[in-house]
Amino acid sequence: MNVIEVEHLSFAYNGVYVLDDINFCVKKGHFIGIFGPNGGGKSTLLSLLMGFLKPNKGRIRIFDLPPQQARDKVGWVPQNFHFDRHFPISVEEVVLGGRLAHLSWSGRFAKEDHKVIEESLERVGMRRYLKVPFATLSGGQAQRVLIARALASSPSLLLLDEPTASVDYAAQTEIYKLLSSLKGEKTIVMVTHDLNSAVEHVDSLFCIQKNLIHMSPEKVCEHFALGLYHAPLKTRKT
Amino acid sequence: MSFIQAFLASPVLQMAVLAAIGASFASGIIGSYVVVKRIVSISGSIAHSVLSGLGAALWLQRHFELNWLLPFYGALVAGVLSALIIGWVHLYYREREDAIIAMIWSVGMAIGVVFVSQVPGFNVELMNFLLGNVLWVSSWDLYLLGILDLIIIVTVVIYHKRFLALCFDEKQAQLQGIPVGSLYLLLLVLIALSVVLLIYIVGIILVLSMLALPASIAGTFTFRLSRMMLIAVLLNIAFSIGGLAIAYRLDWPAGATIALFSGLIYLLSLRFKRPIIPVSP
Repeated sequence: MNVIEVEHLSFAYNGVYVLDDINFCVKKGHFIGIFGPNGGGKSTLLSLLMGFLKPNKGRIRIFDLPPQQARDKVGWVPQNFHFDRHFPISVEEVVLGGRLAHLSWSGRFAKEDHKVIEESLERVGMRRYLKVPFATLSGGQAQRVLIARALASSPSLLLLDEPTASVDYAAQTEIYKLLSSLKGEKTIVMVTHDLNSAVEHVDSLFCIQKNLIHMSPEKVCEHFALGLYHAPLKTRKT
Repeated sequence: MSFIQAFLASPVLQMAVLAAIGASFASGIIGSYVVVKRIVSISGSIAHSVLSGLGAALWLQRHFELNWLLPFYGALVAGVLSALIIGWVHLYYREREDAIIAMIWSVGMAIGVVFVSQVPGFNVELMNFLLGNVLWVSSWDLYLLGILDLIIIVTVVIYHKRFLALCFDEKQAQLQGIPVGSLYLLLLVLIALSVVLLIYIVGIILVLSMLALPASIAGTFTFRLSRMMLIAVLLNIAFSIGGLAIAYRLDWPAGATIALFSGLIYLLSLRFKRPIIPVSP
């Protein structure tokens, strides 16, 4: 079963196309890595998959639904440094952000919601940080809390935007270990610059630079051996 | 006579302190959202645009003898309208937001100045608007302030978690099915209601200092938004009463003195800003 189906997708900012005629599909339980140069359209693609942007051309289906209608099945992990590090919020409140869909009209979370977020934090090894201010966490800890927030909504599809950017090697290892444990259980699409580690964990890689090139991890490794940090030139569209 | 003796003896001063306490609740709670969402400039724009409605209502009242049309009603309409325009631009034309905020700020003020200049005795009206009249509050003003506080507290109790999500991560809130657009407009309308009533009681100089400064100081003492609100309310009360006491002692204008006092404490608080250190519980 295809979780994501993208056909002839094109998207432009102010008339300048950042994605042009993109086609791909992602099968249930697969772990996909997306890489490419800065400004190549990786984060734009994630925004399109969540329905925050509308394509200029083409079609996107998530679980055979338009992206806006499939949001309850999607968990999103942004980069932690996008947040205001002085924002007065606790880890518990951040992770409850993954249960907002269950909030009652009177603005109360049920006991079940608190139980779910504690389980999510347990899964990422951050349970004991429940009452700690989010602002005092290290980059790696903050990133794991954001993964817990995404898991708290019990998503079938997990979208991650460079989860290992700006974290140290130990935190990076922890994050990959965690994502590997979710492999098969969730369909994962991860934007990354960290190809070295990504190739060890993902099922497929998409190189995005306006167009999309589908690559297997083995193929990317061969190019690393040749010192290339980009898509094979012969297969690149111009 | 000391401030305390004067307070016990003077109903005017007692009313002023009550107004300051009432205003402290509205500004401490709403000001905390304003500070964490970083929309102080939007509040400033709404505050200044209110003069257009106030001036227009005053002009209509005098010119057409519409005695029922209080300047407060005009201010309320202008404040809410400005908030909705700014909110709409934020949602649909974000790239123009800065320019629109500046436009509403200056054009709103200009419209108000033109209207007020056409009304006899306009200098008094304009000075009241700029400096406030906390020492002249009526029981009707206190009643309105009480209603506003009640509306704000009830709305915040129900919507706090949604507002928190909106302020922290709009995208996540949207992904979770929260109507981010309507919620943002609701927040701006609450800001407009607070600004209008606070201006009417304490003047435009004080409204921004009451909204932004205590909440900013409170942010250095806590990492919880709900606690930040509580501290901001308490600081507002302390600054207002402290400022009134200084104004009484030095015979300075009350609104301006409270604003100066708040500003001074804010500057001092910058020295004690707590650094963010990673923790291991």
